[in-house]
Amino acid sequence: MLRRLVLVLLAAVLSACGRSEPDDGMIHIRYLASPDVGGFSKVIIERFERAHPGLKVDMIEGPAAGDARENMYSTAFMGEEDSYDLAYVDVAWVPKFAAQGWLLPLDALMPAAELDNFLPGDVTGSRYQGKLYRVPIQSDGGMLYYRKDLLAEKNIPVPRTWEELVSAAKKTRTSSIAGFVFQGKQYEGLVCGFLELVWGFGGDLLDSSGNVRIEEPPAVAALSALVDAIHVDGIVPQSVLTYQEEETRNVFQEGRAVFMRNWPYAWNLMQQEGSPVRGKIGIVPMVAGPGGKPAATLGGWGFAVSAYSRHPQEAYAVAEFFASAESQKLAFFKGGILPSRRALYSDPDVLKAAPHMKDLGRVLAYARPRPTHPRWPRMSDALQMHVSAALSRQEEPAEALRAAAVEIRAAARR
Amino acid sequence: MRDHSRAGAVNWLYAAPAMLFMGVVSLLPIGYTFGLAGEYHRLAVDTRFWPVMRTTLSLTAVTVALELALGLAVALVLWSPFPGRGLARAAVLIPWALPTAVMAMAWRWIFNADSGVMGDLLFRLGLVASPQVPWLADATSAFWAIVLADVWKTTPFMAVLLMSGLAAIPDELYEAAAIDGAGPVRRFFVVTLPLLKSTIVVAVIFRAIQTFGLFDLVFVLTGGGPGGRTQTIAVYAYDVVFRYQELAYGCALVVAMALCLVLMTGVMLGAARGGKAR
Amino acid sequence: MRPTVRGQALFALAVAAVAAWSLAPFLWQAITSLKPAAEVAAVPVRYWPSTLDFSSYAQVFEARPFATYIWNSVVVGLGTTALTTVLGVCAAYAFSRLGLPGGRAALIGILGLSLFPGTVLIVPLKMLAAKAGLLNTRSGLVIAYTALNLPFAIWVLKAFFDRLPKDVEEAAWLDGLSRWQTLWKIVLPLSAPAVATTAILVFIFSWNEFLIAQTLVSRDAARTVPVGIAMLSGVTVYEVPWGQIAAAVVVTTLPVVAIVLAFQRRIVEGLTAGAVKG
Repeated sequence: MLRRLVLVLLAAVLSACGRSEPDDGMIHIRYLASPDVGGFSKVIIERFERAHPGLKVDMIEGPAAGDARENMYSTAFMGEEDSYDLAYVDVAWVPKFAAQGWLLPLDALMPAAELDNFLPGDVTGSRYQGKLYRVPIQSDGGMLYYRKDLLAEKNIPVPRTWEELVSAAKKTRTSSIAGFVFQGKQYEGLVCGFLELVWGFGGDLLDSSGNVRIEEPPAVAALSALVDAIHVDGIVPQSVLTYQEEETRNVFQEGRAVFMRNWPYAWNLMQQEGSPVRGKIGIVPMVAGPGGKPAATLGGWGFAVSAYSRHPQEAYAVAEFFASAESQKLAFFKGGILPSRRALYSDPDVLKAAPHMKDLGRVLAYARPRPTHPRWPRMSDALQMHVSAALSRQEEPAEALRAAAVEIRAAARR
Repeated sequence: MRDHSRAGAVNWLYAAPAMLFMGVVSLLPIGYTFGLAGEYHRLAVDTRFWPVMRTTLSLTAVTVALELALGLAVALVLWSPFPGRGLARAAVLIPWALPTAVMAMAWRWIFNADSGVMGDLLFRLGLVASPQVPWLADATSAFWAIVLADVWKTTPFMAVLLMSGLAAIPDELYEAAAIDGAGPVRRFFVVTLPLLKSTIVVAVIFRAIQTFGLFDLVFVLTGGGPGGRTQTIAVYAYDVVFRYQELAYGCALVVAMALCLVLMTGVMLGAARGGKAR
Repeated sequence: MRPTVRGQALFALAVAAVAAWSLAPFLWQAITSLKPAAEVAAVPVRYWPSTLDFSSYAQVFEARPFATYIWNSVVVGLGTTALTTVLGVCAAYAFSRLGLPGGRAALIGILGLSLFPGTVLIVPLKMLAAKAGLLNTRSGLVIAYTALNLPFAIWVLKAFFDRLPKDVEEAAWLDGLSRWQTLWKIVLPLSAPAVATTAILVFIFSWNEFLIAQTLVSRDAARTVPVGIAMLSGVTVYEVPWGQIAAAVVVTTLPVVAIVLAFQRRIVEGLTAGAVKG
């Protein structure tokens, strides 16, 4: 009896050592993606595979959280694995990945003339130390959503400055409808929203010479404005400190907020059948502070080729295909994905289906990337921590930004 | 008669495979880490290091203290036989047996700011003003959320350890104390507690070491936030290596962690022995 | 002292409270997993689903290859258990019954090794695994888990072997049996309870392990369940599908709950043995 048990267990061990991957003679190009909204990726992949027999594209749907996927890519690349041939990377990851030597430079594969067809912000965000490391596929920029109907009721014009936003919010909020919601949780999204306001107030994180400027008055004013909005003006509920994108969208979509800072993805979802705010929303660039200009933090995704891939040429072919005008148009119509090609923002089909794309194009013209520094994660964490501390009243805005500046300088120096 | 208990190097053959495994998988990487470590000077200037250590130490102290108190209570309730004790013990063991990372997701849902059941329950009990409490957005409540989740998970382990200690106390001592007129409370302080001391010391040291290295729970529940206020040293070291790609400094942090553990164990053992001498 | 009715009632209440506190988070996940999607995040919180809706479970298995993850966890769990038990029994017997020069030092070393938290190991472990070609394989996980469980297994089994009366073995040696035969034919059957306990505890550990599984495996084909839960995503890029996560948590934890219910006594004994020796 015991012997049989031992044999069974040994068999289990042996089977555990067996091969766990199929071998079908095709070349597999693998990448890790976020959830395939609308299924557009599958359609594009099908088209690609039909045009390239012998190649198979394995899109691995990963967790929704960008940080988690970044972790997974980092872990794979640190081990020099060929788990992924392509990396679908956020603009913020490009410097870090490229600095580690994990990505192949693509300048030889993509002609400069072709690059002109893409939005300039997206191209800048795809470069590191002058070399191109990413084919921009998806553009993204933070913006301000507002409830047309609630503003119209009280005859309030769409706010263009922070002061106008605060007064509009005060006039339209009720006990069940908050004034303004944004992503206030301690994560990368917080930095995106915060930087928008900093730029809007005329400040900056790093200037063009690489000096840290985040502790200067404009940035402090921006942070104080946010802190006051939560704790003094009462137009922002305290729960925003746990919000990421979906929480803010849910609140706004259920009609429980007048203004929302979010990414363009929310638009399509909120205009669908059954959405309580369908037809009642508008978008503008984020408001500016006194003496500043409106800004949008550049988001956006694209395909980078892994330096450890065994099929880099084929991988690039996939990236190129996804970046083509037809694919981007399909992605837009099926998944609400914003194109990175400039022409599509004045494309008649696109404008007919979504007239707001013109406004979006304008917002994206204001889009600025976060600093392209390989030490960005540490700098972002420092900023996230202190901004979050200020928002939850653990630190005063001025001292929070001063502390952040010290840490960011230390990180930038190395 | 062959006496196999005679010492001989050949007996090592039995232990060799196990030693090989442990050596390769545990000892080698530890050695590697020590070898890769560098940039020790940064430990002195790193502004994140001391707050993180403070958080880790206070988390350890608070959690172990609570576990001990609750574990003792549970042990006292569950160790004498009663109908259904097996089932009760099984129920009590479940928190310990469930995967930490997985249950951390469950706790995140319980502490959710908008739809979390914790806020709702406390609201219905009249303890908070609104059912929507941003637990994980405030440094203090996030800290206590972690304490709650960790104490929930590890109390059973403490209880089991303490039960084994309780089982070792001879009944005659209780009877003698009862004859002397001691009520149940006095019996506890005069008989139970002193004889449990060695078990308590072992349990506390063991648990303190484990809590010091807490990773899964913090990583999944708060990610170290808000404001980095719940970041433990293990989470920080992980971030340094995997997010910041600072391998040498990350390993230095791990070395520092190991040294702290050794120091902590030494201090606790010393305190325990000092107490015994008295 | 005869128990009073009031005393008994209070006692029952205490037991019920402890059991409820232990099971509540798990039960809340179970309830959440059975709610229709719209009710999961409903405000105010619904304490009972209007209808029992299993779609979350269906979605979990559709969205990700959860069946593969479960299979991987089972295979890795059984493999680890088998390997750890075999190697652990041999080593523990050697430490307990066979003379080992330097054995005491080795034991202390092993105990020291087991105190290092997992974070310490992952970076070099990943590099070692990469060099050995064991990344993204179940065997890699089995090897790592075995090494991590051996200290505990050896400790528990040795404590048990120490308590076995020597005469049975001496009789076997008188009959001319070799060490190997004595171990497998005589001692092992007598130690079945301790071995079973060790196996159960090792399996639970292996089933629950998160950090190393996440570090060593980045491909679905070899992924285990706790890491799989972290991969769950929703309809949009940013959504956290709490209903699906709850379903996944229930699926992950149900086997462990079943094991605990079935083997509660063994688990208690196993944990106790470790403590008594300490």
